Amino acid sequence: MKDVKMRLIVAGSKILVCCLLVGLLMALAACSGDEDPIRVDLSKRHTLVAPRQVEAITYAYLPQYSHTTSYERHSQLIEYLRQTTGLPLRQIFPDTFDEHIKMVARGEIDISYSNPSVYLQLADAGAAAFARIVEPSGKPDFRGQIICRRDNTSIRKIEDCKGKRWIAVDPGSAGGYLFPLGLFYDHGISRGDFKAVDFAPGPGGKQEKVVLAVQVGAYDIGTIRKGTLDVVAGKITQGAIRVLAETRAYPGWVYASRKGLDPKVVSLIAEAMFALDYTNKAHHSILSNAGIRGIIPAKDADYDPVRELADKLGLRE
Amino acid sequence: MRLFPRLRFRTKLNVGMSAILIVMALLLLPMVGTMNARSLVEESKMRGAALAESLASRAVDSILARDFLRLKNMVDDLVEVDDVVYAFVQDTNGHVLTHTFHQGFPTDLLTVNTVAEGEPLHIQLLADQTRRIYDFAAPVMVSDGRLGTIRIGLSKVRIMRTVQQQITLMAGLFAGALILATSLGTIFARRVTARLGKLRSHAEEMLTGNLNTQSGPESGVHCWEMQNCTTTECPAYGEKRRRCWYIAGTMCPDCDNEGSFQCRLDSCRLCSVYRENAGDEIQDLAETFDVMAMSLKMHIDELREAEGNLREQQHLMRTILDVTPDRVSLVDVTMRYQGCNKSFAQSVGLSVPEVSGKTDFDLFNEAEAEERHLAGRDILEFGRRLDTQMEIMDNGVKRWFHVVCIPVLNEKGAIVGLFRTDRDITDIKGYENQLIQAQKMESLGLMAGGVAHEINTPLGIILGYAQLLQEDVEIGSQIHEDLIVIEKQTKVCKKIVADLLGFSRQTESAKREMCFNNSVLEAVSLVRHTFEMDQVEILTEMDDRYPVIYGDPEKLKQVWINLLTNARDAMNGNGGTILIRTRLDSPAGIVSVWVADSGEGISQDALEKIFDPFYSTKAVGQGTGLGLSVSFGIIEDHGGEIQVESPVPEDFGFPEIEGERVQGTIFEVTLPLDHGSDTTEELDEVIEE
Repeated sequence: MKDVKMRLIVAGSKILVCCLLVGLLMALAACSGDEDPIRVDLSKRHTLVAPRQVEAITYAYLPQYSHTTSYERHSQLIEYLRQTTGLPLRQIFPDTFDEHIKMVARGEIDISYSNPSVYLQLADAGAAAFARIVEPSGKPDFRGQIICRRDNTSIRKIEDCKGKRWIAVDPGSAGGYLFPLGLFYDHGISRGDFKAVDFAPGPGGKQEKVVLAVQVGAYDIGTIRKGTLDVVAGKITQGAIRVLAETRAYPGWVYASRKGLDPKVVSLIAEAMFALDYTNKAHHSILSNAGIRGIIPAKDADYDPVRELADKLGLRE
Repeated sequence: MRLFPRLRFRTKLNVGMSAILIVMALLLLPMVGTMNARSLVEESKMRGAALAESLASRAVDSILARDFLRLKNMVDDLVEVDDVVYAFVQDTNGHVLTHTFHQGFPTDLLTVNTVAEGEPLHIQLLADQTRRIYDFAAPVMVSDGRLGTIRIGLSKVRIMRTVQQQITLMAGLFAGALILATSLGTIFARRVTARLGKLRSHAEEMLTGNLNTQSGPESGVHCWEMQNCTTTECPAYGEKRRRCWYIAGTMCPDCDNEGSFQCRLDSCRLCSVYRENAGDEIQDLAETFDVMAMSLKMHIDELREAEGNLREQQHLMRTILDVTPDRVSLVDVTMRYQGCNKSFAQSVGLSVPEVSGKTDFDLFNEAEAEERHLAGRDILEFGRRLDTQMEIMDNGVKRWFHVVCIPVLNEKGAIVGLFRTDRDITDIKGYENQLIQAQKMESLGLMAGGVAHEINTPLGIILGYAQLLQEDVEIGSQIHEDLIVIEKQTKVCKKIVADLLGFSRQTESAKREMCFNNSVLEAVSLVRHTFEMDQVEILTEMDDRYPVIYGDPEKLKQVWINLLTNARDAMNGNGGTILIRTRLDSPAGIVSVWVADSGEGISQDALEKIFDPFYSTKAVGQGTGLGLSVSFGIIEDHGGEIQVESPVPEDFGFPEIEGERVQGTIFEVTLPLDHGSDTTEELDEVIEE
């Protein structure tokens, strides 16, 4: 009988302990708030109406980079153009090259800033070049680059690229596809000679994606616009990428006005653009942000070499 | 308050461990809980901030592209996370671009949390009717411009639920630890208490007298095996029940037997045998317990042996005391009896144990008690021993006792009691009186002998003259007749004088080889004729083996004549039969003669005194009472025994007279065939000389 009593006492004490612990838990749960909240009533609901967009001249940058990069590069330039011309300009962000081309064709993009390869298609859709940029190199033209990993010893010259996996920026990319394709063509390598030819996934950031894909070893070679390595310098291991070859220089990026845009608007914008001086402190920031040394007048004939290249490669209908 | 000491050890251990864990839980849980809650809130804030900042960075492209679907997907993806209540995106003007609410937008949220220019984040605690929400506002920045604001609501209820879950988990862990600790503690305590219980049961067995228990473990390596020892005379060699460090006088060269037990243990701690076999405190206790039990058993065996010896001694002493007819007693200084022997106890009508503690006044009548008490007090006071003879009434009979009372001294010489013996000397007193009487009789005999010797000559002259005168006077004359009377009476006087001379004569013992039967038959032939005159018939049944003894024929003849005369006298002149029978018992080395008569027999009282000197049943002047005592002396001188019985036993085969059994008396004399006792006496005399 004594043993049974003792066991009952022990069992009772264990239950008491558990109760104490649970009570302690409750107490702790109750004493943890020490901030004063703002009272809100989440049941008071209203249907919101989106604000209407004001009418403006749309400005689009071919989405070779992410929208953020596109915005960062051109926001100051657009602001400058707004202030200089007094026109309501708004930058818009098409997701892909094709969308950009189609939007220009549909008249949704008034002022297009595109590469020469895309410009050929824009020109075919009725757009007209009115200005082109001076590259950071100081020249009004630019090149494409073939890159590979620095430790890839199997690729020493352009011919070594045959049978390799190639990642290009976009079928519409000039520096990142068209110019290097011409270079391969000149070295007797056609598109079918590669083990694989893939394009960087969109939207945006496509140049950077090529560099990163080559760096991680997903592809043997990549083709990019010259200058991209500087843009992605902070994102890749320094010295990991080797430039295998560069293409010849082609006229650089071009500003084109959509078919039917008021020529006054075009001329106002063009003048403001031509007025930008790299040496001017205020303009310097605008231009260097946009990766431009300056903007010079342009005409459609300036891009004939690119047309010839596309024709040679059979890329134009 | 007596509950705790009564608890079992196992329960105490569990209660102790539980108490420690509970106190730890009570101390740690609030502290850890608070810290945990804070850290979880901070973690949640950091997570909310990360979510908001992540969304702010991811939303840039979608805001720029005015891609509301992607924005909507982004915020919807967020609310799939458990504690995200809502998420929405505002443009620079505060307009909501997308949100996760299904039925309209709660407008209260629009202005409750703003993030100022330059601030990376702002967290605001909100409360609606049911819950608390941490609202995170993060600016959507691009380059140096701001595109809008990201707002995310994290439920604090869920945060607190997580905190509660954490604390519940911790409490569960504590409870688990408590259960585990008590379980392990129970197992551990069971092991310990099992060993303690074993010790207790062995202790209980010891109480019941079983000292052959083994509490310690029987496993382990023995020192002589481990050390390859060949010293078989070492007390530890072959010892399996005790570890060697509990044994004194071990002969291992590593043992330090010079110092105390503790010093020895110090040397043992370095020994590989000790390191191999030594256990924890309970094993030490059990082994010490075993050693104690063995020592105890050894001491108890010694004690039992001593007790047995003591009991034997006591029994011997008691036997000696009880066998002795003396009344032995011991009193202390308070005059109370401490002990006595059986004889004393019987004299006071009690058993031996009943006497202890009694006083003289409890045991004796007042006068005797007073006398004993005063005598004892006197001895206790002066220390003089008492040695006296007293006549005491014992069961209505006066008896003489020789009393010796000696003071008992302790080792310091102080009197601690009295030892008293009362020896019954009534018989000795009787002998003493008889001796005095015998001495008187001896003197009288000597005197009578002297007188008889002196008278014998004048009597001879008177007889001679009387006979001479008869020749001178005429036969038949008066004078002749008178002279015959004178002669006859003178002869009677001479016979008396001759008897007196014979009785008083100090004759030397003249023992020799002699025929026992002849000695008896000579006596018979001497008296047969005279007896026949008195109608007394003598029947003889002689042993035909003619035993030869070593004795004095004359003295023995005197004994036989004495016995025959007594037998004749027992007839009271009525005549009768005397049967005399001899038998040789060669194995016993004795020869016996029985003299039985058909007389009146002797009473039992007379039988006890029949051999006393001067005791006679005959009329005064008819017997001196010396015959049988003289005969007794002669037979004792021959190393034999004389006994009397009356009436004659039926199995004796006495012939019936006129068909009737006679009372009669039978005397039996037994004599030894050899004469070793005499030789021994002679040898003793030679040694003394």
